[in-house]
Amino acid sequence: MTSSQPPQRTSPADPEVTTTPGISATATAPLKQTERPHPLTPFVRGWLVFVAIAIGYGRELITSSSENQFESGGLTWILPLLGIVVVLAAVAGFVAWYFTRFVIDDEELRVETGAIFKKSTKIPFERLQSVDIIQPLAARMFGLAELRLDAGNSTTKLRYLRRAKASRLRDYLLTRAHGQQASIRDLDQESAASVFTDLGVGDQPLVQVTPQRLIISFLLSTEWLIPAAISIIIVGVTASLGVVPLALGGLIPLLIGMLSLIWRRVIGMFNFTLAESPRGLRITRGLTNLTSQSVPINRVQGVKTSQPLLWRLLGWYRIDIDILGHAQGDSESNESTASSVLLPVASREEVDLALGRVMPGFGLDGIELHPAPNRARWLRWFDFWTLRYGWNDRTLITEQGWFNHERDIVPHAKTQSVNVQQGPLQRRLRLADVHVHTPRGPVNAIAHQLDEHAARELALTQLDRARVARAAERERRSVAAVSDGDHSDEAGLLRAFGAGRDQLLGSGGESEVFALDHDRVLRLYRSRHEAPQRTAAQLQELYESWRGIDIGIELPLIIDTGERGGRFYTVDRRFSGRNFSSWLQDADMAQRRPALVSFLDATEQLQRLPSPVPGFARLIGDGAPQQFGTLSELLATMLQGPLASSRARLEHDVPGIVEVWNRLHGDLAERSISPAVVHGDVCPPNAYISQGTRGPVVTGIGDFSPHTISADPLLDVAGALIFLELEPYADAPADAAWLEAVAVERHGRDIVRWIDVYRRYYGFYFSNAYSFDPALYAWCLRQLSR
Amino acid sequence: MEELFAPPAYEWQRLSPKYRSMRLLTTLIFVPILFTIPAIIVGVASGKWWISGVIWAVAAVILIIRLIFVPRNWRSWGYVEREDDLYITHGVMFRNLIAVPYGRMQLVEVESGPLERAYGLASVTLKTASPETGARIPGLTPEEATRLRDRLTELGEAHASGL
Repeated sequence: MTSSQPPQRTSPADPEVTTTPGISATATAPLKQTERPHPLTPFVRGWLVFVAIAIGYGRELITSSSENQFESGGLTWILPLLGIVVVLAAVAGFVAWYFTRFVIDDEELRVETGAIFKKSTKIPFERLQSVDIIQPLAARMFGLAELRLDAGNSTTKLRYLRRAKASRLRDYLLTRAHGQQASIRDLDQESAASVFTDLGVGDQPLVQVTPQRLIISFLLSTEWLIPAAISIIIVGVTASLGVVPLALGGLIPLLIGMLSLIWRRVIGMFNFTLAESPRGLRITRGLTNLTSQSVPINRVQGVKTSQPLLWRLLGWYRIDIDILGHAQGDSESNESTASSVLLPVASREEVDLALGRVMPGFGLDGIELHPAPNRARWLRWFDFWTLRYGWNDRTLITEQGWFNHERDIVPHAKTQSVNVQQGPLQRRLRLADVHVHTPRGPVNAIAHQLDEHAARELALTQLDRARVARAAERERRSVAAVSDGDHSDEAGLLRAFGAGRDQLLGSGGESEVFALDHDRVLRLYRSRHEAPQRTAAQLQELYESWRGIDIGIELPLIIDTGERGGRFYTVDRRFSGRNFSSWLQDADMAQRRPALVSFLDATEQLQRLPSPVPGFARLIGDGAPQQFGTLSELLATMLQGPLASSRARLEHDVPGIVEVWNRLHGDLAERSISPAVVHGDVCPPNAYISQGTRGPVVTGIGDFSPHTISADPLLDVAGALIFLELEPYADAPADAAWLEAVAVERHGRDIVRWIDVYRRYYGFYFSNAYSFDPALYAWCLRQLSR
Repeated sequence: MEELFAPPAYEWQRLSPKYRSMRLLTTLIFVPILFTIPAIIVGVASGKWWISGVIWAVAAVILIIRLIFVPRNWRSWGYVEREDDLYITHGVMFRNLIAVPYGRMQLVEVESGPLERAYGLASVTLKTASPETGARIPGLTPEEATRLRDRLTELGEAHASGL
């Protein structure tokens, strides 16, 4: 089924022509556009091959000339051969480019390669571990970059793309890799990366290593000083004896080693920048080859800080990290994305800053470090005083080394296994080592030369700590997974309406509300909220029946309802003005008091709304409308639901609750009133305030709900007064008392008794809040204990 | 200090006695072969057979030491399945105790080479994300190895946690 027929070139402007070559071309697969890397790719790669050959050949030339076996005839013989190799490499490069196609869109990430043996790699977005951009010098000159995708143990390379495109794709892929929904079209604005640093526009540099500091730190590092000193000694000794050529055999490998060290530590780490990007930490580095590498924080398995002897004078440290799946091959080679270096050189403050980002909440303070016992000097005479270990509730720390002081930090949750070792000499001294294993990488947490009992205790307690930390991590993940699941389909739904989470106006227990435009809002019901469709249909009917009735305030209106991705939504008319609850937070008392009076006015206006059914009735919810003979019967029915779950709790929390209940029923039986529409939840979060001619006025009340009934209109008046106590601003209780006085003045002293009765009613009604809103439940208890 | 390497409140499971026999046999075969070949080569090449004699003497000493240590080494091995982790201990001179939480196991391997098969033995290796873990239990009967593998896999799934 492999077809060797080359795919047709697809122009991006022509969306109908689609090609999907090779294995992936199944009859049912949707055909979509694929694209090739940049056409200059074969040239850049050919050039790299040429350079590689030239260097290899040049090295050959040098070694043969040093052995005096170089003949000029060899050169003419080898040049055409070199030409053929370069041409072949160019052809191979062209073929590789021609048959490489990729798709990165909202649905998938797929890379297809191979002329004869086709290979199609499809990487699920969630499996992406890091997306790095690498710009070898040759590619950089053409403004091209390689995109390197790490997923599991495989690395997929896309080379070469335009730099801007590569960084755009990287941003998109990292967003998707974090499990967030995004559309590739949303990212089409240019996130211009600079040629020199490759930092995106949104990137905030945290730590930048200046070239001076890098070079000084390199010159003072032990790894450099030792071979340098040895070379000088060798040259000095042999020069004084006049036998320098004899030493070349030893000197040349030493020099090559030093050059490669310079290449890795200076050229490769040049302009090192650790930056905070919107999608996590990012490292960019390199003088000739520019590498931009993301640091997947959730994959960090451990951190190591090290300090060579001379760096101690300057207070400098180097930080390496273990990243899961990163450490295949050379951990520092400039080509590899898998660099384990977090900072090549950093001051103490920068170390704290970087550690805080990589292991949030980590602090060295408060960790008690235990030294090794004195008898360890018989085995570690050279650095026994530096051996330390310690832990807190999240991490284990071990320290060792005098010449190069190292500190290994392993979060308990990342502990793989624990090992206690004891050699024959250690047994004699009653000492043992404890190894805490982490995945492959520079971090090796070993607590050296502990007392036997301390070692055993450390190992066993470490297992416990690791177990607790793993359980906590699992818990955290499952919580995150649930809320992510809630959010992922939500993002798609919001996008369909052209909205985003930033347009969130408010959220409650049942739904979240997003602004769509000036006139409409999207109300997104929570997926776990039961039967929102029925409620919405009943509300829609109710609102329609009130259309054209002017009671002086705005009422809600449902424009559209629907369901998408398992989430039910309605599009509602948007209230003018601002949410009353949030307005109250910032308003001063002089503004608040008149506004509260208008809130009371608006509440009283509600009773002018006609009820769709005569008499006492439930208007919204299961089996509604449901009529009742008396107020007391209706309210008893309304309380059944909440009390079913909270009854036991109330019996425990309120002494004499049965008496409170009976008193409520006795009182309600005495109330004689003609029924009117009762909103049931008139509170500032459900009201809207606008600037009127004489100051701010409450102009709308929204969010009718299953609380809505046809009953005593005083229920809403009482609610407006007493729910005000729940507002989070400081003077809310005082305002509530003041507003109650206003209401009493209006309606007479008689209502004081009924407000008190309805306090108890609402106290029972919202008592099921014990399971989700402790503050509301506390309020309920206060009402019931009055 | 026996208690340093003892599992807390559990008894070590020991290896099959056949493992000791196998190690004794391999010692008896390989040590003489290893020393006899150079001894003969030296003897033939130089004609000084006394050097070969010295080599054989060394071989005999090593053989005796190994034969003494094989049973001790066999006795030193132990493993125990705890509630949340597997403990393995071994080593006479260099002693080692490793604890692998079930939640960290990525792979459980059962291996049996030709010689092990001849003795009816198998070994179980636990792999975690760390290459240093190296938790291997040799010298198990095939039934015990399979049981251990199934049990560990089961426990590993029950305790599984991400990295």
